Amino acid sequence: MANYLIRRLAFAAVTVLFITFFVYALIRMMPGDPTTTEAAALNPDKPISKEDYKRMQRTFGLDQPWYLAYFKWVGNVARGNLSSSFFHKRPVRGVIAEHIGPTLLLSIPAIILAYTISIPIGLYSTAQSGTLIERTISLLLYFLYSLPSFVAGLWLLVFFYLRLQDTMFALPASQMTSDNFEELSPLGRLWDIWTHMILPLTCLTYGSLAYDSRFTKANMEEVMRQDYIRTARAKGMHPFWIIVNHGFRNTLIPFITLLGLSLPGLLSGAVILETIFNWPGMGYLFYDAISHRDYPLIMGLVLMFTILTLAGQLMADIAYAFADPRITYK
Amino acid sequence: MMLHRLQAFSLCALALIIAASGCDFGVDEEVKELKLGNLLEEFTPPSLAELDKTAEWVDRPVLDGIVLLREKQAGEMPKATVAEALAMKNESTEDNDKILSALGRLPPTDQSDDKSVDWDAEIIRHAPFEVKSTNPLLGSSVTEQDISGLMGFGLFSFDWNFKPFASKDAVVSWQTSKDQKCDKVILRNDLTWSDGKPITAHDVEFSFKLIMTEEIPVPAQRSGTDKIKCVKAYDDHTLVYFHKDALATNIWNVNFSVVPKHIYDNQKELSNDPTLQNSEYWVKNEKSPISGGAYVFANRTLGQGAVLERRDSYFMHEGKQVRDKPYYKTVRFKFAKDPAASLLQLKGGDLHEMILTPPQWLHETGGEDFYKHNTKARGLEWTSFHFVWNTKVPFFEDKRVRWALTYAMDHKQMLENNRFGLDEPCNGMFHPTSRWAPKNPPPFIQQDLTKAAELLKEAGWVDTDNDAVLDKVIGGKKVDFDFGIIVADRVDRIALCTILKQSLEKIGIKCTVKPQEFSVLQDKLQKKEFQAAFGGWGTGADPDTSVNIWGSTGERNYGSYVNPEIDKLFEEGRKEFDEEKRAEAYRKIHTLAWEDQPYTWLYFQNAYYGFNKDMRGYMFSPRGPYHYSPGFSSIYAAAE
Repeated sequence: MANYLIRRLAFAAVTVLFITFFVYALIRMMPGDPTTTEAAALNPDKPISKEDYKRMQRTFGLDQPWYLAYFKWVGNVARGNLSSSFFHKRPVRGVIAEHIGPTLLLSIPAIILAYTISIPIGLYSTAQSGTLIERTISLLLYFLYSLPSFVAGLWLLVFFYLRLQDTMFALPASQMTSDNFEELSPLGRLWDIWTHMILPLTCLTYGSLAYDSRFTKANMEEVMRQDYIRTARAKGMHPFWIIVNHGFRNTLIPFITLLGLSLPGLLSGAVILETIFNWPGMGYLFYDAISHRDYPLIMGLVLMFTILTLAGQLMADIAYAFADPRITYK
Repeated sequence: MMLHRLQAFSLCALALIIAASGCDFGVDEEVKELKLGNLLEEFTPPSLAELDKTAEWVDRPVLDGIVLLREKQAGEMPKATVAEALAMKNESTEDNDKILSALGRLPPTDQSDDKSVDWDAEIIRHAPFEVKSTNPLLGSSVTEQDISGLMGFGLFSFDWNFKPFASKDAVVSWQTSKDQKCDKVILRNDLTWSDGKPITAHDVEFSFKLIMTEEIPVPAQRSGTDKIKCVKAYDDHTLVYFHKDALATNIWNVNFSVVPKHIYDNQKELSNDPTLQNSEYWVKNEKSPISGGAYVFANRTLGQGAVLERRDSYFMHEGKQVRDKPYYKTVRFKFAKDPAASLLQLKGGDLHEMILTPPQWLHETGGEDFYKHNTKARGLEWTSFHFVWNTKVPFFEDKRVRWALTYAMDHKQMLENNRFGLDEPCNGMFHPTSRWAPKNPPPFIQQDLTKAAELLKEAGWVDTDNDAVLDKVIGGKKVDFDFGIIVADRVDRIALCTILKQSLEKIGIKCTVKPQEFSVLQDKLQKKEFQAAFGGWGTGADPDTSVNIWGSTGERNYGSYVNPEIDKLFEEGRKEFDEEKRAEAYRKIHTLAWEDQPYTWLYFQNAYYGFNKDMRGYMFSPRGPYHYSPGFSSIYAAAE
């Protein structure tokens, strides 16, 4: 196992370098650069001169060939410096750190909620496969799956924020906390954050219910055809324990794969929902960084997501060995 | 196993080598001492006594924007009562005028205990952009500029007619030398920063030098400021600006952001981090900025916006009130990206004001859910939209072709459908209500396909091969009239360009609409890598700012339009101090550009705002309700 881990980490390091190099090349070759959007945002009374344009380019490191700028970036990263965001005008590390908490605050409960709801639905659908109830549940889930989250988000806002205003069921329209958050008690603050989370969490969760429950059902149906399931039935075991104990456990490998691949998704955020609910998440941060050609911030985010993806895959591979004793690594 | 270990070792070594080689590039450059004002030429200002002897000072206006507005309103009768205005819906121009007339009135008195004002009120302003920086030197977005306006210290302003004046809140007197090359300002002696230190002329002098330091990344501040030769503080209150040339535009160069010298004049910190963004010292200042204006920064929450609180030390000095007390106790800038979600918050009362899009104005703000907390008002704004023709491209070199395209465009459909009948047609660079627009303005163009076809034929564009597309021999090759127009990736703008495409198809011209991401669009415009484009310009406070667009070497002259006569007129306008003669120069520029049609001018976009019913005192200028004097200062919450 130790050798395996060393090999994987070494490959990961080189993979990170290749990915960051490739992404940096891509973003530097994209039309537009940080000076483009900076100049476009300026007051019409204060148009920027050609000399200052050149100075801006020097400030942003755009006077250097892109590959030299990349190596400079790698050198800085090796010393723990992710540089300063052109657009936010603050260290990249700080900008990313500020957005991690709010993103995880939505994404972790969304994943937990999604699996908590969809796995039992999937198991129930397996048991009731082909019946009217199962078909109805499928239809509802597919409807939810096809409902765009921004439409659902706005509808929920109209209903829970506007229509139910001044009632006890009213929910806030946007942001993570209320304007008077600092004045609330600790419990009050928790409740405030919770009420702000409800609507975006709902929108983030419902779409994945169909996929996760179908995934569960598909894997279960494969497993339920196995001989050991027939044996368990023949032994008179209760159907519930057959499904949960014998069937579901043997679908864990694909689930672990899914969970592993979900790891970067925990921090990737959701651009549209963050826009509608004004949630300060990573999704909009990344989108904004690309729009503004904020190279240091883009690279900081790419680095983080690359490391997370590789870490997620590694953790999934290690977890296989525990879930399935037949799997070993040397 | 040995092979695997060797592979792993090789990979690790490779990764380390690459990272280490980067370290050489990433090594901190040696910290060089920063020389302030290194962009300035050497100049030794004369002594004040010498200057006073030779300058022949002429007094200039020192005014109070609120007093100006009060004088204006004294001569106007309200067209409706407040109750009537609050009860009505804004469904016509007459309704709009009544609402603005009634709800735009200032409080009856200028006393700080006026009972009609809610002095403890909070206003929640919509911020479409997040506050990235509280440093007035680094801010660039509209929200950051609004915050700078409330927190910053400034000496000059301009009214709704764009007439500049020195602000009575900061200045005792303002004089200009007879040769127009010097401006002398005497500051008041009751000005303080929010940390209690006095604001003096030395802060202004220092700020100028800081802005004119190459390593400090403040391009927005430097524009115009680089036309000043020197700013000299002769004592704590006497300031003289020395201009390079005697120009009518000098007044617009002197209103740069002023920062506290006692904070920023730190050679070690400036040399260590001239970007003013990264080091601990500057980050700490960023989090708790010192204010010189009416409001002080209270807090900023990630993704939510910023809160400013009224600063008592701004209007009180040594126990006495020395300036008008700002109306609002708290100004909250609430960040909200999505227009639909923002409108919901306005309806719910969680926002007190926001810009409305034309569809929102027409279709989403007419019901009881909107009028429960709000009303709406609109005003003329001098923001124009147009098609830019790249005159370096063979298609658009000929003026007749550009005129043909203007005649081919279905302006009526654009104004009635695309702009919902809300915006005004545009007939040139200056708005018809502007004093710089021609007294006999050019006519608004209506679609005339026959005329368009004739002009194209005159210019040599004929369908020689009967493929329903005009063609011409250019450089020995037959070229079809087939071009692309780039436009920002927005539904309404793409639809407008599609109207052009459909109009041109009728006269044998093929046009492909090419939506672009904003950065890509800007890049192509700046590099002039386009054939035609759709865009718009807001207005500057001085017509000379448009030399940037219409001057042959203007940085924003994306269409490469060249007219030496216009260049000459801009030069003349800059040097002409007589207002009427100056205006005449810009009227000629307007006419000349109109005759050449480097743009097809389309429409002026008006300002549409939703306002909470408690708000009073708002008035529209050609730059909206805020960006002039008194602007936001005149807005207050009604006590009842």
